[in-house]
Amino acid sequence: MDRSLIWTIVAGVLNIGIVLLVAPLCQGVLRKVTARVQSRQGPPLPQPYFDLLKLLGKEDIESGQTPAMQRFAAYLSLATVLTVACLVPMGFAPPMNHAGDVILLIYLLTLCGVCTLLAGLAAGSTYSLVGISREMMSMIALEPLFAIALIVGAVHTGSFRLDTVLHGSVYTAAGVPWSGLIMLGVILLSFQAFVQRVPFDISEAETELMEGPLMEYSGPKLALFKYAQMAKLVIYSALFVSLFAPWGSALVFPFGWLLFWAKVLVLVLLVTLVAATHARYRIDQALRFFASLFAVALVALVLASYGH
Amino acid sequence: MIARQMFEEFKARFGPLIQRADLPSDSRLYVFVDRSAVKYVCQHIFRELDARYVASIGSDDRPFSGTFLVAHNFAFDKDHLLCSVLTQLPQDDLKIDSITAMVPAASWAEREMRDLLGIEPVGHSYPKRLVLPDGWPEGKHPLRKDVPWNEVPEGYDEEREFKFDEPPEGCMVVPFGPFHPTLDEPAHFRLYVEGEMVRGCEYRGFMVHRGIEKLAESVMSYNDIPMLAERICGICGCVHNVAYVQAVEDAAVLKPPPRAEYIRTIMLELERLHSHLLWTGLACHIVGFDTLFMQSFRIREPIMWIAEKISGNRKTYALCVIGGVRRDITDELKTELRAVLDKLESEWRAVVGAVSNDRNIQKRTRDVGVADKLLVKSAGLVGPVARAAGVDIDCRRDLPYAAYDRVDFDVITAQSADVWARLVVRMKEVFESIKIMRQCLDKMEDGPLQLEIKDELPIGRMGLSSVEAPRGEAHHFVITGENNRPRRWRVRAPTYQNLQGVPAMIKDQQIADMTISLGSIDPCFSCTDRLETIDLRSGEKKVWSQQELLQMTRKKEP
Repeated sequence: MDRSLIWTIVAGVLNIGIVLLVAPLCQGVLRKVTARVQSRQGPPLPQPYFDLLKLLGKEDIESGQTPAMQRFAAYLSLATVLTVACLVPMGFAPPMNHAGDVILLIYLLTLCGVCTLLAGLAAGSTYSLVGISREMMSMIALEPLFAIALIVGAVHTGSFRLDTVLHGSVYTAAGVPWSGLIMLGVILLSFQAFVQRVPFDISEAETELMEGPLMEYSGPKLALFKYAQMAKLVIYSALFVSLFAPWGSALVFPFGWLLFWAKVLVLVLLVTLVAATHARYRIDQALRFFASLFAVALVALVLASYGH
Repeated sequence: MIARQMFEEFKARFGPLIQRADLPSDSRLYVFVDRSAVKYVCQHIFRELDARYVASIGSDDRPFSGTFLVAHNFAFDKDHLLCSVLTQLPQDDLKIDSITAMVPAASWAEREMRDLLGIEPVGHSYPKRLVLPDGWPEGKHPLRKDVPWNEVPEGYDEEREFKFDEPPEGCMVVPFGPFHPTLDEPAHFRLYVEGEMVRGCEYRGFMVHRGIEKLAESVMSYNDIPMLAERICGICGCVHNVAYVQAVEDAAVLKPPPRAEYIRTIMLELERLHSHLLWTGLACHIVGFDTLFMQSFRIREPIMWIAEKISGNRKTYALCVIGGVRRDITDELKTELRAVLDKLESEWRAVVGAVSNDRNIQKRTRDVGVADKLLVKSAGLVGPVARAAGVDIDCRRDLPYAAYDRVDFDVITAQSADVWARLVVRMKEVFESIKIMRQCLDKMEDGPLQLEIKDELPIGRMGLSSVEAPRGEAHHFVITGENNRPRRWRVRAPTYQNLQGVPAMIKDQQIADMTISLGSIDPCFSCTDRLETIDLRSGEKKVWSQQELLQMTRKKEP
């Protein structure tokens, strides 16, 4: 009993370590590929590590309306993302499988958005307020999509257990897994929004809102937020892979594991290319887009409950 | 003989109220009218004859005629005629009827006249300070001849804040500027926002006046000013350089040699190319499409290099002197320029192809920032903004200068009047520019670069010049003067008019569209804010208050 607990903790810490280690690398890949698409040289791959270190080493300035809340939001943001990391399979079964279920996962994912709201409120400037109102609107429209994807899986398997749901559960229907395929499309189309990249980086649009909620952040606190954002890309990619593309994960250790990360990398590249070839949508256009996706997702949920 | 006809018509209609006229050529008409008739003559020209409003100019003419001069300039584009309606005001009664009721586009120009010269526009629709800061004492008018260029009046309170209007009920105020990532220069829009919708705005600009006109009229000489004029704008400097020189040449009836005219044309078009590419990139950046931003800048770079080869500079070509140019385009440069144009054409074709089929960009730019024909007319909008609304104006064709009458090109127009239309117009104009430059390179004849000017330039003559800048018409007005310098030089940059259309363009649309709407007129605040006197003292003080600001932020730390 004790031993398994220790293993769980070790595996969780390992997962966190992996995410912290890989996230800046993914960001580096993203930046490099973007640069190549734009005919630029681009920064060296490890640049995001240096950036984070630089920011972490900077003066910790208290600013904004409520500095305490601002600090709290930054801590909470990274902490939430890292907690999620313990619940998501990273090439192995989710380490903290018994500590929570899919519902907790949904809660935590929503909490990530709440952190941005807190950050914006703490800054208290007009731009950040506009930014959080956008963040709030897109959160309300967006979060149900991933929730429905997870619930579709749960409905199919009849379980909320993480290792059961996060293993291609959406396809486990008898016959053609219509609901799973539909959700695959829905999540693919909204994936940029989950990881807050162009064309859906609306709440912090630099040229409109000057980074919106993050405008008062600098130094170490900004580093935490940026780190959380980078980690989000990895975690959502991992979630996507385990929910929608689990094939090959059952292979013997290095192969299954490598295949998993290869798939994550492919997803990161996809995000990069979409971001590099699109203009930012306006909030109303984005909301209409999310709303239509939501309608489609509901159809998938209904199908799932009838076993398709 | 259109100028003569026009004048006869005025005389028939207004009788003795028309005092006299000056018709130096068939493309210029200066009518002196009685003060009481200004309003009616302008109304007649603007409404019934459907002329385009260009600019209003005030001038302190006291040392010479004992009066103040007010001129309202109009363009008859189809008749290739620039017309100036002038009136003289006695120095003890500086009141003139405002023409803003009929010509809303004159709003800023009249406010500026009031600020800088103390000429009171009676019946102005929005008589608020425009150029001078609020802390500037009443009754001090820096552009008057008896005010030295470097004077700071007693009682100037630079800490005094600008007094804004009250926002309408139920609206939140979102400050846009004075510093914002999409504004390269300071300007302040106070947006009245309801939710995500902009319901109105107040503009406050003129924060970086450099007193260029005052400087030119008081310390510089005819051939110094082209270099100063060029520094009005970092993007279309050559335009102001050429426009000023042409205005002086127009006043003094000088005709530069043909080779100089071709070189001017080539350099102006070269500038247009770089500006259009730059703007396309920036517009894409504003809507978050950075890939095209980077590609535009990559394609643009060879243009900067060839400009540097020709003039020694990537920008600020220092091209013109009165009566000619200072740079030659040798055969070697010609070959290189042709190669640059060929490469640019094929690369730009690819970009245009990619953008025209991109639904994503169209989503962000269609029906955004609409400036329809009506607004173009009433606010006097120019350039791509006007052409995108289907208003077929282009100074290069309508008021030909340099060698534009000897080349063949199309004026690109669009119909939808939104940001997308502006993007299309400017992207297509690149090809027209290439066409013009190629023709110039073919037709350019050998000959001198400069006119030999032996005599002093005549005094007290007026000259007008409109040059089609990448953003629209730049208009210069010159009265020649003593001491080898103009008596009055007035610059009206394209943004001066286009900015006045922005409040109407952004009304009732989303706040997210504000940046691209404003960006779509390609605002140039340094062009607009060109007038005022700043001295070192106030500059120093500003640095000091900045430090104070820094100290304030640092105090918060333990």
